[in-house]
Amino acid sequence: MKKLILTIAFVYCAVLSVLAQDSPYQKAMKKEISNLEKADSLSKFQQSANAFARISQLNPGAWQPYYYGALAYIYQGLDGSLSLHKKDEALAKAEELIKKADVISPNNSEIVTLEGFKVMAEVSADPGSRGQSLSGAVMYNFGKALSIDPKNPRATVLMGQMEYGTAKFFHSGTEKACGLVKKSQTLFEEQPVETLTASLLPTWGGSLAGRLAKACQ
Amino acid sequence: MKVLFSTLSLLFLAGCVLGQTKISGKITDQKGVAMPGANIFIKDTYDGVSSDENGNFSFVTNETGKHVLNFQAMGYKSQEREIECTGQPIRYQITLAESINILTAVTITAGAMEASDVKKAVVLKPLDIVTTSGAMGDITAAMLTLPGTSTVGNDGRLFVRGGDASETSIFIDGLQVGNAYGSTATNVPTRNRFSANLFKGSFFSTGGYSAEYGQALSSALSLNTIDLPLRNQGDLSIMSLGGGYTQTWVGEKDALMASANYYNLAPYQSLVNQKFDWEKSPVSWDSEVALKHKWGKAGFIKAYGHTEGNSMTIWQKNAGEPGRGDRVHINNRYSYGNLSFRQTGKNDWSFYGGLAYSHNRDAINLNQEPIRQINQVGHAKVVAVKDLGPQFSLKNGLEWYLKSYSEALVADHLKRDIRDNQFNHFVEADYYFSNRLIFRGGLRSGYSTAAKQFWIDPRASLAYKLNNQGQFSIAAGRFHQLPDEKLRVLQTDLKNAEASHYILNYFITSNNRTLRAEAFYKTYENLATYKGTDQAPVAIAQKGSGYARGADLFYRDKTTLKGTDFWITYSFVDSKRRYAIYESKIQPSFAPKHNGSVVVKHFVSALKSQLGTSWSWNSGYTYNDPNLAGEMKGKTKAYSDLSISWSYLPRPNVILHAACSNILGRNNVFGYKYAGQVDETGTFSGIPVGQGATRMVFVGLFITFSKDKNANQLNNL
Repeated sequence: MKKLILTIAFVYCAVLSVLAQDSPYQKAMKKEISNLEKADSLSKFQQSANAFARISQLNPGAWQPYYYGALAYIYQGLDGSLSLHKKDEALAKAEELIKKADVISPNNSEIVTLEGFKVMAEVSADPGSRGQSLSGAVMYNFGKALSIDPKNPRATVLMGQMEYGTAKFFHSGTEKACGLVKKSQTLFEEQPVETLTASLLPTWGGSLAGRLAKACQ
Repeated sequence: MKVLFSTLSLLFLAGCVLGQTKISGKITDQKGVAMPGANIFIKDTYDGVSSDENGNFSFVTNETGKHVLNFQAMGYKSQEREIECTGQPIRYQITLAESINILTAVTITAGAMEASDVKKAVVLKPLDIVTTSGAMGDITAAMLTLPGTSTVGNDGRLFVRGGDASETSIFIDGLQVGNAYGSTATNVPTRNRFSANLFKGSFFSTGGYSAEYGQALSSALSLNTIDLPLRNQGDLSIMSLGGGYTQTWVGEKDALMASANYYNLAPYQSLVNQKFDWEKSPVSWDSEVALKHKWGKAGFIKAYGHTEGNSMTIWQKNAGEPGRGDRVHINNRYSYGNLSFRQTGKNDWSFYGGLAYSHNRDAINLNQEPIRQINQVGHAKVVAVKDLGPQFSLKNGLEWYLKSYSEALVADHLKRDIRDNQFNHFVEADYYFSNRLIFRGGLRSGYSTAAKQFWIDPRASLAYKLNNQGQFSIAAGRFHQLPDEKLRVLQTDLKNAEASHYILNYFITSNNRTLRAEAFYKTYENLATYKGTDQAPVAIAQKGSGYARGADLFYRDKTTLKGTDFWITYSFVDSKRRYAIYESKIQPSFAPKHNGSVVVKHFVSALKSQLGTSWSWNSGYTYNDPNLAGEMKGKTKAYSDLSISWSYLPRPNVILHAACSNILGRNNVFGYKYAGQVDETGTFSGIPVGQGATRMVFVGLFITFSKDKNANQLNNL
């Protein structure tokens, strides 16, 4: 009991101090997360990846810098102007960072989603030869992420995107895909963005859901 | 002057107070090209910046005192500079050197053809092995569409560059597989025993391969099993030849796959006219269990067991004799077990290895005379790899083989056998001079207790990447292999036969097109020769020798024709050898001069179907015609087989697959059998060795049950 009270007190103090003032780490992270959200070019994504690498070397025990660094590399891997070779190089870097994040925070729904997103980027880099063998791994990761956190909007919308592609390929109905997209939109709306942002947790993906919802109409 | 001085000191003071130091500079690569996107930062601080598109960087820090400035860029070696922040601007001109990047660096492609989803310089994807029309799901048949191979239609095994089938060794997860092909009667083609859906990739070498592989004069085929499957699922297959079921259970760190299959060719053969004279059509069953366990972060332990049984009875006509000929009944029992591991240790060490054992029993009745043959192969292997920096790695391995063979005439209580222990050590070094140039050198040594012989094989290869995506590789090496067990059992101290390979290879892959060209020269020494017949050899010696030389070409294109993936292969082999009963150097029956194949796959979205066709061709097989003066003077007409296949996916988890071989109905002949005596006209009468049936039709329905409704068995076709 005493231990519990102490723990609560400790957590309370910790939360208070967090609320009271951002540490240099948090300041740096918030700035770079917002930069990544605004990034729209290869060089910006690389700048972002570099910034998160700088934060990681100071905070090797935190998974978020690795997570966002990986995300910045995945965005590069999705850039159509790059050669397959360059895409794979960026995605290999993403994989390296995801592995580091996963060691710090195993079974984290967001990290598992990111792994799925990375494999998805690998598939879209060379769909003809990778589609059949890797799309299973994509769905597996999104499925696993949703089993850990059924309300993960990113896993939901990415799964929707994957289902959408499959449905188009097989000329079958997009109801299931669009259902997932719709569900993800609700989940994105329900996201406590401020709390998440304060704890440096991911909030991205809403615009993707919007684009897919349009395609569904 | 005074004013200036005070201004300066003021500025200096201000600098001290604010403690701001400007750090700037330019980053280039070794060629002097500006490098954008490099990461420049002061270690253990948040202060840093990325270089711009001109390689320039500039940032300001509030830190004071001594620090370390770090320069990093993807694909380059990092650099550090010690700096002192005093408020004085610091400027650096940095040249970053390329680091060795396994992902983009040159790879050795001489002799090697890889099927992989993850690696570069691959010619095939694992899926191709099973979606190749005409292969009918047989791994070996798919490999026969690759350069350097010859299709020998009455055998079914892999023949590489003028070598016979026993010159190719097959490995699963690095461990030897004894009797990888099903037991069959002479001139009845066989198949690989192992299902293609077990494997995630393969490495097929047609020469000059690594010191890791031995006891193979021509070729090594290494198959790698999948790690953790993705999901729990059940796979049901219903085929014109039988059926099977596989269940997969997947846990957090473990997976278990169990499968059972039953095949019976009788119903099919009663419907479709057969040229072979079957008394009892082939019937077989098999069951498999595969266990996978994730060991720590990067390690794996895998256990695999396979057991099967099959039987057949066939009548084989003899030339110049009336009646059905010889009655051959074969009952085969085969088991293979394999336990393998791989693990990464500390200080850049990694380890892999395992144990494998196979047991093959053939109970043969030749015209009611019972014969029993038993083969056993045990293999233990452990390999340690040490990375000495990013450009140098050293591999050391120890192996032990136990090989035994016995044959018995059951009724006469006659038995003979051979048991051999072989010990091997190999060491191999990979050294990257740069991302463009790699050297691999290896040495393999061995000792056989039965042959009482010690041998050493040096191997070396070198690859150089050109400015475009293309690369040249060369490879050379020496290879030893003991003669066939059916000869060794007669004379247990037979020594190794020896081969030397020299290979020059060009490989380029770009924009979904792959071109591979290779020239080779191979010599053979100490091949087994004997008198008598192949069935009853006498006076065995090792006086044979020979050569094989030639070139092959492979072109694959996935983009030029929309929705179509095709590859074209041409192999030229000029081979002659003195071996077996031949007194002179002859072109072996299994080494046709010109060989070619074309494989086309086309996906038709509107039909939800993949259509495939493959054409395999060669210029004809030599055969020994006793009516002609000299040895091996006969040659068959060209071999040609056009196959088609159709995979229809009505739902993502259901596949209907239909395939037909030799649709043109060509009557291929692989050689002739001759009577032992001349007939009344003074000639040896002969009968052709041909196909079991004009065409082979296959229909199968494959259904996958899982939570992921999109999962299917396309991998298995």
